[in-house]
Amino acid sequence: MNKPSTARSGAPLAEDLARARATVNEIIVDKGEVIDLAFSALLAGGHLLIEDLPGVGKTTLAQALSLAVGGDWQRIQFTSDMLPADILGVSMFRREGEQFEFRPGPIFANVVLADEINRATPRTQSALLEAMAEGQVTVDGRTHELPRPFYVIATQNPLDLTGTYPLPDSQLDRFLLRTRIGYPSAAEERRLLTEPDRRNLLKDMEPSLDPGRVMELIGLAGELHVSEPVLDYIQALVAATRSHPAVKAGLSPRAALALIQTARAHALVMQQDFCLPDNVRTIFPALAGHRLQPVAESGMDGDAVAAEILETTPVP
Amino acid sequence: MSRPAAQLPLGPVAWTVAAFLVAALPHLVAMPPVLGVVVFALCGWRLLVARQGWRLPSGWLRLLLTIAAIALLAVSYGGLWGRRAATGMLCLMLAAKMMELSRLRDLRMVASVSLFLIASQFLFDERFVFLAYLFGGVLLALGALLRIQELDVSRRSEPRGDVALLRHSAVLLVSALPLALALWVTFPRLAEPLWGLPDEVMDGKTGLSDSMSPGSIANLFADDSPAFRAEFADEPPPPSQRYWRGPVLWRFDGDTWERAFLPSRTEAPRVPPGRNDYRYTVQLEPHERRWLFALDYPVSMPADARLSLDFQMTRRNPVTTLTEYSVRSNPDFTDMARLPVTLRQLAVSLPEDRNPRTREMASELRARFEDDRALIDHVLDWLRTEPFYYSLETAPLGRHSADEFLFDLRTGYCEYYASAFAVMMRAADIPARIVTGYQGGFWQEGGQYLLVRNSDAHAWVEVWLEGSGWTRVDPTAAVSPARIRSGARSVAGGGESLEWLRALRNRYDRLQHLWNSWVLGFDADRQQRMMTFFGLPNLSRTGMAILMAGIFGLVVLALAWAWLRQPARSRDPVRRAWLRLVRRMRRRGLGPGLGETPLAWAERVAHRLADGARFLELTRTYCALRYGDRGNEAERQRFIRAARKFPVQRAVEPRRAASV
Repeated sequence: MNKPSTARSGAPLAEDLARARATVNEIIVDKGEVIDLAFSALLAGGHLLIEDLPGVGKTTLAQALSLAVGGDWQRIQFTSDMLPADILGVSMFRREGEQFEFRPGPIFANVVLADEINRATPRTQSALLEAMAEGQVTVDGRTHELPRPFYVIATQNPLDLTGTYPLPDSQLDRFLLRTRIGYPSAAEERRLLTEPDRRNLLKDMEPSLDPGRVMELIGLAGELHVSEPVLDYIQALVAATRSHPAVKAGLSPRAALALIQTARAHALVMQQDFCLPDNVRTIFPALAGHRLQPVAESGMDGDAVAAEILETTPVP
Repeated sequence: MSRPAAQLPLGPVAWTVAAFLVAALPHLVAMPPVLGVVVFALCGWRLLVARQGWRLPSGWLRLLLTIAAIALLAVSYGGLWGRRAATGMLCLMLAAKMMELSRLRDLRMVASVSLFLIASQFLFDERFVFLAYLFGGVLLALGALLRIQELDVSRRSEPRGDVALLRHSAVLLVSALPLALALWVTFPRLAEPLWGLPDEVMDGKTGLSDSMSPGSIANLFADDSPAFRAEFADEPPPPSQRYWRGPVLWRFDGDTWERAFLPSRTEAPRVPPGRNDYRYTVQLEPHERRWLFALDYPVSMPADARLSLDFQMTRRNPVTTLTEYSVRSNPDFTDMARLPVTLRQLAVSLPEDRNPRTREMASELRARFEDDRALIDHVLDWLRTEPFYYSLETAPLGRHSADEFLFDLRTGYCEYYASAFAVMMRAADIPARIVTGYQGGFWQEGGQYLLVRNSDAHAWVEVWLEGSGWTRVDPTAAVSPARIRSGARSVAGGGESLEWLRALRNRYDRLQHLWNSWVLGFDADRQQRMMTFFGLPNLSRTGMAILMAGIFGLVVLALAWAWLRQPARSRDPVRRAWLRLVRRMRRRGLGPGLGETPLAWAERVAHRLADGARFLELTRTYCALRYGDRGNEAERQRFIRAARKFPVQRAVEPRRAASV
């Protein structure tokens, strides 16, 4: 492909993005919103946490996404006896070279599916989370850059909690967005049961993008126009979380910044030239739900608070 | 942000100057001409400046010119500070403002004060025509304000046409009318004004004066304006009985008849009600004097009036506004069955060295006729048979006025006849006095009221007779019965061609009468009656003031609350147009949810609209204009127009959907 890959060539890039999105939608049908969120997190340079039961398609989603994006992907199944080195990699002494050589772990990939992250010990979890935050890995005093883009899709089973180490709240906001996939609709489920397995499509899938162009898209998203009214709206939403009676602490300025960035990414995914309040609205529950810690007696969870705030904050 | 003066475009300046001139015109007409010239010159010069792009004068020059203009005003009014001088000052200051009309703020100020200026015309003249003029002037001033506003906020490339602008200001004016009407009805009227208007002689207009010399009423004959209107409870008196009594004149110095300053204690006796009484209400036009007019002889009268010994009805304050009063008159009353000696002496005194021929004739007659009545009849007969003429065009009289008139000139009008006749009577030792006032009037069939004009001014004689007291004798009636039947003008001959004009005037006066009765006559008393009619308590002035203050406070609070509650009004016209559309949708029950985005809302309600596709399209345009780059001006205007014109109509819902 001889497409010019400079950052300014917005239009063909947007076409590629649309194609990538269409491809993923072909494989995981009827989950357009989740897919858009996944793309948004990717283009905002963040990571995605999917909280759901096994078997609803998390792995397929991660795989399809990585294929569409065109990078390499890794899957890490977390277990309670896992050590940080199992993720990050180890330094081994090589006799031939008379020196230590770094053996990269599974985390060195563009898209990493971290399955059942809450099964790992906090020590292992934090090794992953640190790598996610910094985009690099430090082993034995030597720093190794992670590939770009670096995108972690972690999953967590919210029901089966025996022998797990739920992520502490302070660690949860390492994930830009948290979402659920949910069961397919009845019609979709019927198709799933009767038609040939769509996962077979994965084998023939052509990547629509490559890591370089994903980086360009991330750059494009960062430059997308956000008008004053939309900024007003974002500020109003953030302010509302801070004054909401059921919330211990509202969103931080960093979260507000993340909200702008993700809304931009979402607008880019939706093929818009500018950011709409609708983008903010779509992103907001996924972005704020896991960051808001409701007081126990309110009987609400973060998602409920986010939904309520959306309903009661006028759109400027 | 001050712009250089000459850069104010001609359009708004011209509108403002026009609004000012229209507002000032009624005042200018009444002002000394030189002031009008100054005002017009300044306005014309300012227009030239706007046209040619000249510079405005420096501050020193402006100051100098303004001081000169004020000095001119002071000289013109001779230091008299009244309503005229004050409004003249206002006109001049606004005209002087033309010299520093350099910012939008100045324009706005002049246009706004013009609104006040035009309303101040009602201080001088409350006639109906000025209401129409007021509307015209307000329309123009509002147009000017709109034009200025256009310059200020809107970045629209093309200014609106003048007609569109006038239409807009008419809409504003009409929408303010209900409020004005409500305030007019409910705003408390005080029985007396809070501040007295400075008294001032009316502009060159004279009502009936308190002295009379032959020729002094003449200027009134030319004045066709209404003096008063009278509505009768029953039948009006026949034309020959319509003598409206004004000042009564006793003293005669040979040239001029004047009032007698009778001792104030000698009040008129109470007139008992009779069987043939007239009950009527008079609407007296302002004439800046104290007397009121009534038919002979008033039984009851308004509370603030008193009767003198010679039955002049006077008020404590001059009549400076339209005044309405009710009177009951008993025509059968005998005024002074006995004449006191002092009054008799007053009523027969004549200057010794005047009118020898009249005195000679009177003494001859006195010798021939023992009876006063026979003598009077003889003189009236003599007036009738000798070649006396009634005419408004006559010559002035000299030292022996009665002689010259009775034996040489023999042509004149009521004053000539009344004066000469009274002199003759006094010379014959019959007590006589002159009564001035109005006689006749035009009976408006349509309006059921009697219109008395200033041209109906009249003078007649009263003589004192044994047994019948003071008795009215009208020598003019002897000479020209038509004058008494149908008015001075008909006799003097205004020309038949003006008949239609007179008919038109009479028609117009009916309108004016309605205006007087329903608008100007709506005073404290009537308002109180209306309030009582609607079951509101009869409040004292204090109570009314407290009530008004309370209502006013509540309104202010409510407005403040509403103002604080509403989101700040957007300066973005696209946003405002959108919000208007949202309000219209809400009225149809299709409003957006509180946290709903425009697009989500449009997608939700589009299928319930008759033209949902267009609404979606409109919403997308709105989002692009508001959340995207702002678009160019043409696109924004197009959107605003489209949003305004969008028909908010529900789709016809299918029957089945309705039954669910």
